[in-house]
Amino acid sequence: MARKVKRNIATVSLFTMDNWLKICIVVVFAVATTGNEEATPAKLLFSKQILNKYLVEGMDIVIKYSLFNVGGTAALDVQVADNTFGPQDFEVVGGQLKVTIDRIPPGSNATHVVVIRPSKYGYFNFTAAEVSYLPSEDAAEALVGLSSEPGQGAIVPFKEYDRKFSPHLLDWLSFAVMSMPSLVLPYALWYSSKTKYEAILTQKKDK
Amino acid sequence: MTQKQKALSKEEEILLQDFSRNVSTKSNALFYGNAFIVSAIPIWLFWRIHFMDLLTSSPLFLIITCLSTYLVSFAYKKTKFVLKHKVAVKREDAISREISKMIAEDKKMNKKEKDERVLWKKNEVSDYEATTFSIFYNNALFLAVVIGLSFFLLKSFSPSFNYIFSVGLSSGLIALLSTGTK
Repeated sequence: MARKVKRNIATVSLFTMDNWLKICIVVVFAVATTGNEEATPAKLLFSKQILNKYLVEGMDIVIKYSLFNVGGTAALDVQVADNTFGPQDFEVVGGQLKVTIDRIPPGSNATHVVVIRPSKYGYFNFTAAEVSYLPSEDAAEALVGLSSEPGQGAIVPFKEYDRKFSPHLLDWLSFAVMSMPSLVLPYALWYSSKTKYEAILTQKKDK
Repeated sequence: MTQKQKALSKEEEILLQDFSRNVSTKSNALFYGNAFIVSAIPIWLFWRIHFMDLLTSSPLFLIITCLSTYLVSFAYKKTKFVLKHKVAVKREDAISREISKMIAEDKKMNKKEKDERVLWKKNEVSDYEATTFSIFYNNALFLAVVIGLSFFLLKSFSPSFNYIFSVGLSSGLIALLSTGTK
């Protein structure tokens, strides 16, 4: 009976101490983390990618812009602008080169895709696009950043691409049709004479 | 004496035709015409598939086509000459029987005239078959070699050089092969 009472007292004490320790740890952690998140402004990582394998004159090029908010606050009034594709060299086929995203929450990302079509062939340096955003709600000045640069790319002439990849089925068919008279006609004439005289020989043999 | 000379000269004429490498004007026209057509056909491939500009490359097309025409017709003539004798040997019996059947009812014709007629017919048939087969064989070989060279061996060359070498080498090759005796 005495032993049972002693055990109960020890158990209750231990339970109380353990609980108290856990509560203290949780409170300290909450205070520490809450304090830090509130302090970190929005920070955007911006990448620009060309999704095409081949860059061909007169054919679509797909550009993907990705924004990652690695800060602790939402990025506001995010304005993306790509002024590197001049209208004399490129035509925008889909999407827009200037977009505004109202809000990118912390720890999330946003993507934007533009389809352009080069009107000329040659080497082209794909440089960075620009982004500006407010790092927090009470920020007075917008932050400006640049995307990654895909670098120099060769836009090949359409003829080269077509020469390499097009099956040209119709052209081959036309070639076959044009070649037929030069091949079929002489062969048919020779064959008819050959069979005629071979038939004469076989007729005689049969007799 | 004069008639004998005429008869001899007629036989000689047939024999000369048989063994001569010379072709008649009609055969010449046939050979050059066919050679020109088959030499011009690859221009389509180079224009449509290799994207050679027709107008700017027209002098090149003209020169190479003319050269190829000459070489292909040379190949026709040589191949025809070699084939003619082989065909003549093969068709001799059949032609003899055909002529015999034709003149069976004609009692006036003597053996000499019959032989002349057989010889003439043999020459005609062997000439015809050798001509047609020579054209077919050389055309097929020429086109096959052009395609093989331009789309496999020479595909990394620029279109102009590709055209010059593929058509030039093909016609040269068939001309060379035709000079063989077998």
